Order: sequence, then structure tokens, then C-alpha cells
Amino acid sequence: MTDAAARIPAGARFDFWPRLFGLVTICAALLVAEFVIRGGLINRFIVPPPSEVIQALYRVVVQEHVFRRFLATAAECLIAGSMLTLVGVATGVAMHRYKLLQQACETWVASIAAAPLVIMYPLFLVVFGRNALTIIMMGFIAGLPPAILKTIEGLAATRKVLVNVGKSFKLTGPQQFWKILFPAALPTIFVGVRLGLIFALINVVGTEFLISYGGLGALIADLAERYDLAGTYAAICFVILVSVLCFVLLEKIERWLRPVD
Amino acid sequence: MAETGRLRQAARPAPLIGPVTLLRVAIVLALLASWEFLARSGWLYRDVVPSLLSIARATADLLTHGQYYYNLGVTAGEIAIGLLIGGGGGLVVGILLGGSRFLSKAFEPYLYYLGPTPKIIFLPIAIMWFGVDTPSKIAIGTFSCFFPIALNVAAGMRQIDRVLIRVGRSFRATSLQMVLKIYLPAMRHPIINGVRLGFGFALIGTLLAETRFSNKGVGFQIMQADSTFDMPHMYAMLVVLFVLAIGANALIGRLGGLDQIKRS
Amino acid sequence: MPIDGSDNAILVVNDIVVRFETAEGPITAVDDVSFTVRPGEFLSVIGPSGCGKSTLFNVIGGLLDQHQGAVRVGGETVDGPHKSIGMVFQEESTFPWRNVTDNVAFPLELIGMPREKRIERARHFIKLVGLEGFENRYPGELSGGMRQRVSLARTLASEPKILLMDEPFAALDEQTRLLLGDKVLQIQQELQQTTLLITHNITEAVQMSDRILVMTYRPGKVKRIVEIDLPRPRTSEIVTSAAFGRYVAEIWNDLRVEASRGMRDEEQHALHPRGAGA
Repeated sequence: MTDAAARIPAGARFDFWPRLFGLVTICAALLVAEFVIRGGLINRFIVPPPSEVIQALYRVVVQEHVFRRFLATAAECLIAGSMLTLVGVATGVAMHRYKLLQQACETWVASIAAAPLVIMYPLFLVVFGRNALTIIMMGFIAGLPPAILKTIEGLAATRKVLVNVGKSFKLTGPQQFWKILFPAALPTIFVGVRLGLIFALINVVGTEFLISYGGLGALIADLAERYDLAGTYAAICFVILVSVLCFVLLEKIERWLRPVD
Repeated sequence: MAETGRLRQAARPAPLIGPVTLLRVAIVLALLASWEFLARSGWLYRDVVPSLLSIARATADLLTHGQYYYNLGVTAGEIAIGLLIGGGGGLVVGILLGGSRFLSKAFEPYLYYLGPTPKIIFLPIAIMWFGVDTPSKIAIGTFSCFFPIALNVAAGMRQIDRVLIRVGRSFRATSLQMVLKIYLPAMRHPIINGVRLGFGFALIGTLLAETRFSNKGVGFQIMQADSTFDMPHMYAMLVVLFVLAIGANALIGRLGGLDQIKRS
Repeated sequence: MPIDGSDNAILVVNDIVVRFETAEGPITAVDDVSFTVRPGEFLSVIGPSGCGKSTLFNVIGGLLDQHQGAVRVGGETVDGPHKSIGMVFQEESTFPWRNVTDNVAFPLELIGMPREKRIERARHFIKLVGLEGFENRYPGELSGGMRQRVSLARTLASEPKILLMDEPFAALDEQTRLLLGDKVLQIQQELQQTTLLITHNITEAVQMSDRILVMTYRPGKVKRIVEIDLPRPRTSEIVTSAAFGRYVAEIWNDLRVEASRGMRDEEQHALHPRGAGA
């Protein structure tokens, strides 16, 4: 534990300059954009100057109740994310345990991952209604396959020698699983959950946008319809914020479960 | 020799239909049966789950009329161009970021957190910039596939076995030679995985972009079927679309493994 | 350390000092190392882990810029990888996506040699290292020893004036190593290839070299230069001779002190790590 704790501040020290450089470069680019747009080189009705977008941020918070929408979207993402983690990892474990099931279904799951499920949203609308459930289900289903696949992959990739160590200590099946296989597979499982969360996020906000219901996605659709471009850009910033929130949270959970490296 | 041949005849070859195939057939039959049951039960509003026969008929109808192929061509073209531009850009950016720890720490977080946002929300902006027609769809597709490819390539650069880079330098390879003869081949797996992911996102982005303000493309045709509540045709299109998407994904994966590269 | 016989030297290493900044403060990896190598000579640099020999390898090969002192090849100062120096690395370095022929032809491809000519040239070196018949195989299908032979053939294909090798056989088992050592000796004698071998293995050094440079533990200095007066041509059978045993004993005598210092130092470090981790 102390090793990791000692390592983080040292890393932060080295990260400061590049991060600052990145931030400064982006701000400089925004400044250039500001002048170019105000100067008329780019049509301000197609690309609003960054200052307008910043003003719109405030407007969007106060008038459009962005915070409420932000919470709605974040909640949908977190629910879909938790569902896909639980169901995905459990399914992956089951498929690893029952080899026949894995051999029969693994390629099918991989195929589902490749299919553009989100285009089925009109059907989900009809089946689940125009409410949060549709949105959550779309996120859940889209994010499920990577979680399943990476769980199987992680469990299967456990080094044979570790399995043999377990056998040499005469561990029972469940013991072998919880003490050796599962911890060894955790890094890969987290990769799958992260990927699933990406798909879930995309589908949640995307579906909100398409059915004009819910949190930030719906807000963006609204603002776009009113040709409030500055507001649209501002709302997009909040969507990015949801993304940051979800992944920072995931990282914290991962750090808690796997303190080393 | 003839005797052994006759004696051998007694042994049967291994069963053609193994347990895996049986299980798969069983699952498929169960799914089809429950579908048909749902269709006839009347629980859901008429035609939300149409009978298998009507879907089959609609599929046949779809595949025998030119209009679908026209729309398919439009969508495929949009995705191809999107992949080319977004993929090419992603490759370059990935190589630049992956090759420099400093640049990576400066800019990669932005790509990482902007990646999981649905690019469809940029559609209003894309339409403002590029108009309502095909270019805006291509723009969304390009934007969608850029991020996974750039991030995968950047990560791939960092995972290249360092000694291979030293070999290149010891033979005084130029930067271009390093990229073409060492970096890219060494990264073929991350690149292919990035392209698969990018293809998936470009497909989704392009399809969804076609559902709005459009008059051609597969996405448009699906929306048309939806708005006229022509469910059998909608399902037919979804089935064909999914089969094609899965096939394309498998093809890309196969292309990546076509070289028989084996590392112990 | 005075430079001997320098008028005949093809490689001159002059007062090399290499210092690194680490979390624990500056350390001197290599301190004032000088020596020369005559054409056709086989020189080994031997020392305990941590004596800076790999650092020296990178300096001579031109992969490490921050150093004091100079390295000269045939009169020219080394500033970045030099065309007269060919390097063979310790780790697995074959390109897994190319077959044996394409691996060996790599340096020829870089200088733009036409395809038929480079395949022919590559075939020659593949035969030289004893891998005839494996031209179309991929590294993944070969054993570790065979892969190192491919790396060697690849470097030889660029026909360097000086062959620079960093513990190329460290990952192999002893028997494979002895036999490969035979192969390398055979090739070196046939090509009259000037060779500089970095190693920690005394048997290997005495088996192959004309002279051995013994280094101290960090900061790495030249402790001694030993002339190996064993008859040539040599094979691995030489390891059983009495003279061989005496050389090995003599060098181990020098090395043992350094190796113990190194071991104690590592134990100290493990007990009291300073700074932000290894």
C-alpha cells in the first residue's frame, strides 16, 4: 500500500508540466478561434465564439436546469453500468464454468458486440415506453457483451502455474475460483467493464438525444431544435463531464480493489 | 492391406453433430419458438413482434428490390470514407501521442474523456457546418471512429517491445522507415482492434445520423419503416443490417490475422 | 588507463564517463574507461551486474549520447549509431512479423538494396549461422537459440567493421550457449570479424576472446586487461584444458571482490529504498 501511495505523488510531479502545456495549448486554440470567429472569417452562426459558449454555460445552468438533467443522465449511466457489470461478469463466470455454454455462445456474444444495437431504439420505445427504462435498457444491452467477453478472457488467461499452486494446496472449486482465478482475472475484467461503460454511456446519451426524453441528450436535442448553438456546445460540455465522472469513479473503485499497480 | 481395410470398416467416424452444435440449435429453436409465441399471443401491441413468416416475407421482399441496395451503397460509402479520414487521422495522432510521453500526458486525457461521448449529439453542429446531405453523415462517422483508433494506436505505440526500436535505431533507419517497417507492423494487433471498434462506432454514428434529416441510406429506410409502422420490414432490415455488420467485423478481424505471425 | 597499440586500433574508446540522475541522486555508471581494439581481435568486457557494461555497450553503439569522452571508429568519432558498428542485443530482437530471410535482409532493405540481391545476401548469412533450410520460417516457430542466431545473421548482413554484442546468450541454457559460442567463434575466425563482447559469463569470455577487460563494480572502471594465450582455432572443447581453468580462476579472483560488493549494495538498497520506488 505504501509503495503505491508513494508512487502517486511522484507521478503527479512529472505530470504537471505536460498537463499544463496541454491546457495552455487548448486555451490558446480557443483564443485563436475567438478572434477568427469575431473577425468574421468563420460564420458565427455556424460556430459561435468560445466566449458565447462560456456565457451559454451559465445560461444553460440557470435556465435549463442543467444540474437536474446532469443527475438524470448520470443516474441512468450508473444504473446501466452497474447492471452490465453484475450481469456481464456473472454471465462470463457462468460461461467459463460451463465450457459447453462458452463454446456454443461466445462467438454469438462477440457478434452482438459488433452489431449496431442502438438502431433498435424505436422498438425499445414501443416495448418499454418513452421513459428512463428504455434509455437504461439500451445502455445496458449495448454494454453487456464486452463485459461478458473480457470476463471469460480474464478467467481463461490465468497462468497455469497459479492454477497448479491452488491444486497443490488442495483448494476446493469455489476456493480456487475466489482466491486464484477471480483475483487474477480482475485487471482484464476491469478492461471489459470500462469498455462496456463506454458503450453504455454512448447509448444512454444517444438514446436520450434520439427520443428527446431524459437528461442531457434530450437537452441537446432541444437546444439544437431552437438553433441555440452556443447552448448546444455548452450542454455537450456537461456530457463530457458525465463521462469524466463515470470513469474517475471507475478508476477509484479499481484502485480500491487492486491497490498494487 | 486389404484385410486391414476390411477390418477397419467396423470403426465409425466421430459424430458429425457434436454437443456444441446441438446446444446452439436448441437455443436458436427456443428463441424462435418464444418469438412466434409472443407474436401470436397478442400481449404486445399488434405487430410489435410480427410473426416469423411475415418477417421472412419482408426480408425476401427487401432483398429483391433495388431500393435497399441503393441505400446500402450510400451508407457503406459514407462509412468507408468516414473510416478512411477518421482512421487515417487517428493513426497519425496515435503515433504522435504514443511516441512522446510529454504529448501523451498533455493531450491524451482529452481524447480519453471525449471518446465515450455519443458523437450523434454533434449532428446539429455537423448539419450546420456541412449541410443536411451526405457530408454531415460522413462527418459524424469520421468523428466517431477517430477516438478509438487514436487511443488504441497510442496505447499500441507504448506497448511496442523497446528492443525492436533499438534494433531499428542501431541500423540507422530514418523516421519514415521506423514508422513503416517497425512501428506499424509491431502494432498490427492494436491497430486492427482499434479499426474494429472504430468501424462499430462509425456504423452507429452514420446510421443514427441518417435517421434525421435524411432521404437516403439504411438508417433513413429503417426510420421510414418505423414511421409507417411497417414492423416486418423494419425487422427485416435490422436482421440484414446486423448480419452485414457482424460479417464486416469478422472480415476486419480476419484481415488482421491473415499474416501467420506466431510469437512463442 | 594507458591506451596500448593505438596506431593499429580500429576502435578507440577514450576516457568514457557516464553519469545518470536517479531518484537517489547522481550515480556514475562508467568512470574513465579507455581501451582499444585491434582489427580482427575478439575482445570481451566482463564484470558483475551493475558495473556499467551495458551502459558502455550503448555508448559505443551510439545509442547513448550523454557521456564524456569519445569513441572513434577508424578515425571517425561516433555520434549516434555508426555504419561500421553492428549491434546484437541481449533480449529477443527478431521481428516476429517477418520470416527469417526478411529479418536478416532488414539492414539491406534499409539501404535500398534491390530485392533479389538482398535475398541472396541474406541466404549467405543464414547459411553462415547454420540455419539453412529455415529461410521461410517465422521467429515464433524457432527456439530461443535459433532466434539469437537470426539476430546475429541480421547484424552480420550489414557487414560491420566491428561486431558489438551485449550478452547475446544470457537467456540460453549452458549447453546451447557453449555450442553457439562455437558457432560464433567459427564465424569470427572465418570472417576475421573484429568483435567486442559484453558478458558476465567468465567461461564464455575465456572461450572466445583474445583479450578480456575486467571491470569493477559501479562506478565501472577498467580493473585489469588479461591476454588470453590459448591456441587458435578454438572450439568448446577448450573448456576442459588446464590453461583454460587457470584463466577462469584468475579472472574470478578479480571478479569475486567486485561481485560481492555488488551483492551487498543491492541488499542495502532493498532494505532501505530511497526516493519514489525502483
